[in-house]
Amino acid sequence: MTSSAVLVVEDDRSMRKYLRGALEAHNYAVTEAGSLAEANTATAAQSFAAVLLDLGLPDGDGLTLVRAMRAAASTIPVIVISARQREDDKVDALDAGANDYLTKPFGTRELLARIRVALRHATQPASDDPVIRIGPFVIDRARHEVLVNGDVVHLTPIEFGILALLARHAGKVITHGQLLSEIWGPRGKEQTHYLRVHVAALRRKVEQDPTRPRWLTTEQGVGYRLRDE
Amino acid sequence: MSEHRAWRGYLVASVAVAAATLLGVALGQRASLADEAMLYALAILIAALSGRGPGLVAAGLSIGAFDFFFVDPRYTLDVSDPRFLITFAVMFAAGVAIGGLTSRLRAAEAASRDREQRTAALLSFTRDATGASDRAGVVRAVVTHLRETLGVEVTVGAGLPLEITPVEADDDRRQFVDAIGRQATIAIEKLQLAEAAREAELAVSTEKLRTALLSAVSHDLRTPLAVITGLASTLRETAPASEHESLDMIVAEGGRLGRIVENLLAVTKVEAGATPRREWVPIEELVGAALERLAPTLGDRKITVDIRGDAVGHIDPVLGELLLANLLDNASKHAPDAPIDLAARRDGTGIIVEVADRGPGLPPGTEHRVFERFFRATHHDNGVGLGLAVCRGITTAHAGTIEAKNRDGGGAVFRVRIPDAAPLPKFDVESA
Repeated sequence: MTSSAVLVVEDDRSMRKYLRGALEAHNYAVTEAGSLAEANTATAAQSFAAVLLDLGLPDGDGLTLVRAMRAAASTIPVIVISARQREDDKVDALDAGANDYLTKPFGTRELLARIRVALRHATQPASDDPVIRIGPFVIDRARHEVLVNGDVVHLTPIEFGILALLARHAGKVITHGQLLSEIWGPRGKEQTHYLRVHVAALRRKVEQDPTRPRWLTTEQGVGYRLRDE
Repeated sequence: MSEHRAWRGYLVASVAVAAATLLGVALGQRASLADEAMLYALAILIAALSGRGPGLVAAGLSIGAFDFFFVDPRYTLDVSDPRFLITFAVMFAAGVAIGGLTSRLRAAEAASRDREQRTAALLSFTRDATGASDRAGVVRAVVTHLRETLGVEVTVGAGLPLEITPVEADDDRRQFVDAIGRQATIAIEKLQLAEAAREAELAVSTEKLRTALLSAVSHDLRTPLAVITGLASTLRETAPASEHESLDMIVAEGGRLGRIVENLLAVTKVEAGATPRREWVPIEELVGAALERLAPTLGDRKITVDIRGDAVGHIDPVLGELLLANLLDNASKHAPDAPIDLAARRDGTGIIVEVADRGPGLPPGTEHRVFERFFRATHHDNGVGLGLAVCRGITTAHAGTIEAKNRDGGGAVFRVRIPDAAPLPKFDVESA
């Protein structure tokens, strides 16, 4: 198996060193960049399978790199690894075109899982299969039917829409805004509270313990994620 | 002053008529009766220039004197020739007309002089009032100006628009006082606006500074923390089983440090008066997220969750999750190995959440102090006592209440109530 090239854009040397060690141990080829300028040089010289991006860089905001990449029609997955905690920062990063977001500190396992998800979505963008299988779920998009552990579960059209959208992007965080505009259309933007209530109802139907969701997790202030492992 | 002028007018009238009479008598036969009449007309004209009253008096005196001294039969008030009645009437009419005209002119002149003075006074007041740096300065300007221009003493109310009550004043002055009051009110409103703008500007720059400082601190703490937990979790992948416990502890403690940083940020934010971004959130979702976040700390601790129906709270979801996480973390710290009970329900106008443990409970008398920052119930207590202070901060920011008490049968119970800040929308989930 050829190793995937990952660009690590991070100004802290220890952090870069840790990331290099963790990624190389899992057969990724790592290129380091300590600034936006170095990142630009690296992306011009070589193509990468994924980019890990810190936002607070000495010569500017990491988001400018994401915006520039997306403006140049690059679909390389970008995972933001940032010390910024404000939820607005996360939403901004996702809206700018980042694929996912990890807040420091995070575990290596979580990091590797996010990279795997990002790489998978890069090679096969949103799943368009009529039937999606994730964990205990079988989601039949043509027949609007959901099986959980083999049992048919009755969902309302909105609940089905939410689950299907999350499943198509399984493992990836989907923002409230994305869910609302996809399911309610452009007029739904301000309806986050309805979304939350529908997700709560959905959890009660598909999770064993809705107060400890195993699959349908909340990214507080950002959105939801359907775990895929 | 005007009384004095009136007396002088009547004096002028008497003197003028007397002079006309003396002149007429002195001239004797050299003057005709028409000449005499003209002399009296002159006297009436002179007197009428002092006003309507003197004009009338001069006309009356002139008619009397003319009749008495010059019209036949002389030295009586009888009139033999009725033609003279016309002369009398003309004299009288002239007196009245000229006098009235003069009076009106005088009055108009006085009024315009008054207006001019008041405009000047108002202008000079406005100059002083807008130069004042605060309300007291404007009020001082009001009092001195009214005293100097009107000679009126006033008392000034404490509210806005400014209420100025003269000790005594006629309608005319009252109007001027009101005009001053309007100007003073405008001046004070301007001052208040300027003050509000200055405060807002200060608040923005303070907020900016604080946010910059906090994000710097947060950034500088989180990156080394990420390296520590990251390296420990990488090491664990290849480490022998005997080292797993230590490495797991490094990761868990790293996570705890991360939460402390988060709490520091949150407490500074809510204490600085940041408005919570309230939304309708199912409590179940907040509990789920809080339990997930605490999973490394809680391990396989038994936690019973009792949430009634589709209980939703009107709460900032990010702060709400932090609130629940801190309550659960507190319970798990003080009652290790004991089950934790979490219950939530709506009470019509708000959401009530209770977190109860079966630990040692609260030392008597500390029920309120537990929410103080850096308070520790016992000296064995680890942690800096920030978690419960954050809970109180978040609750207060939502205008809610938080209380701690000992639980029947042992342990402590923390009860939070967050009142709705908007009417509960109708959530019709099944038909959607």
